Amino acid sequence: MSYPGLALDQAPPIGAPFRFFLSAPLFGMLAALVLLWLGPPVLQSRWTPGVLAVTHLLTLGVLAMVMFGALLQMLPVVAGAPVARPRLVATAVHLPLAAGVLLLAYGFTEQHALALQVAAACLAVAVAVLAASALHSLARAPRRHAALNGMTLAVLALLVAAALGLWLLAGHGWSAVLLRRGVLTDLHAGWALFGWVGMLVVGVAFQVVPMFQMTPEYPAWAKRGLNLAIAGALLAWSGALVWPALAPLRIPTLVLLALVNAAFALVTLDLQRRRKRRLPDVTLDFWRLGMVCLLSVVLAWLVGLGVPGLRASPAWELLLGVLWLLGFVLSVLNGMLYKIVPFLVWFHLQNRLVHSGLMAAGIRVPNMKQVIPVAAARRQFRCHLLTVSLLVPTLIWPWPFLYPLALLQAVSFALLAHNLWNSMRLYRREQRRLDAASWPSAQPGG
Amino acid sequence: MTARERRLDVSRLEPCEPLEQTLEAASALQAGEYLRVLHSREPFPLFPLLEQMGCGWHCRPGRDAPYEVLVWRRDDPLGKQAVARLVEAP
Repeated sequence: MSYPGLALDQAPPIGAPFRFFLSAPLFGMLAALVLLWLGPPVLQSRWTPGVLAVTHLLTLGVLAMVMFGALLQMLPVVAGAPVARPRLVATAVHLPLAAGVLLLAYGFTEQHALALQVAAACLAVAVAVLAASALHSLARAPRRHAALNGMTLAVLALLVAAALGLWLLAGHGWSAVLLRRGVLTDLHAGWALFGWVGMLVVGVAFQVVPMFQMTPEYPAWAKRGLNLAIAGALLAWSGALVWPALAPLRIPTLVLLALVNAAFALVTLDLQRRRKRRLPDVTLDFWRLGMVCLLSVVLAWLVGLGVPGLRASPAWELLLGVLWLLGFVLSVLNGMLYKIVPFLVWFHLQNRLVHSGLMAAGIRVPNMKQVIPVAAARRQFRCHLLTVSLLVPTLIWPWPFLYPLALLQAVSFALLAHNLWNSMRLYRREQRRLDAASWPSAQPGG
Repeated sequence: MTARERRLDVSRLEPCEPLEQTLEAASALQAGEYLRVLHSREPFPLFPLLEQMGCGWHCRPGRDAPYEVLVWRRDDPLGKQAVARLVEAP
């Protein structure tokens, strides 16, 4: 098998994914500051403007920011299908996404219609460019496998979630009269959280868990069935929300979604238990925390199904949301950053080493474990773990727990930013070292 | 005269060790040698690096590991012919 389209100049330049990764913790810190500023009253329900602002700072500013960057980077690595014009695509996605999130958060907290209108336009551009580039690249992949199918389904779900989000924004920003806003919001959240985020995590896990955590491969039934089951359940659930005739399907489809997610978490935990290398690994700890939180969400939701009083409580809805977003998704993405970023730094330095012909001279570049020190990553993991452990007490007693929670979240994101910036500094330093070493041979007669 | 095979099993190593070891082994290839790398997956990032080093490569499903990558020096006709024979063999 040869892939004539695959060449180094097509791999994304390191700045393309890095700008997303370096921005994400800044939005996380901003979300924590907004929480501190608004204080405990913000947690009265999932509908308060503050919750909408913080939720979107986290979902778009942190999670989508990392996932967009990771997609640009992973398509050439796992699919052999690089994104065309990566520098241009990265700019055309990153800038409107960053501006759109800031305006959206401001528009929600200040109820500012113009900010929401501009945010809608920016976010539409960011999502459209990302989806078009990713789907174009996925269509050219030399071969299909479970990770690629998961990525494709996730990007399609992103388009559905974004379209619903823009429709909802029309209600906020242009005072359009929306019929059944509650249903639209549920559909938007469902397609964003279970579809885009959930299916991408599942699809990417098929590739990265065995590769980076040295586990056995996911079983064939999981690779074949999990994401298809999520997509099918989401479609049926959407139908049940929209058409009264299908309404009886609502709970069964949600139960199916819950069980599929639980199956994913259990299979992943089992694979990690059977991993070939038993060395401590901070990424593994992040993933395990994520999987335990995913199981907790499923369990909490199933308990709520049998206890109507609990289901009606605003704190319970919020609990499901924060456990999913901060406990499950953020843990998994944070853990992945500690593999993706060192790999990127190593790969680009190695590329430079090979290109300069210095390898034959015995010059080497730092390996992945030297890019981000384990102790620094573990310090941030402990801080993140503490934040997650405060989620339940904060929703039960917003005062006083919201304050330590928001502070810890800010510190955790600051530590993550510090670790990522340090890896970028190491990259620049090593790049200069290689340039200096190759300089004499580049001189005439040198 | 037949080319000599060098064999490298990186299928149980953690990234970025498979790439590092493969590049080391490829840079040490002598005339009349080719490399058979046993890998747990298709190492897409490896291929352009090999090309930059002046090596040819061929990746296919393996017998002893999910994938194997055959690598030869492009300036070495013996290594290239040996890999071509392996690839053409049923």
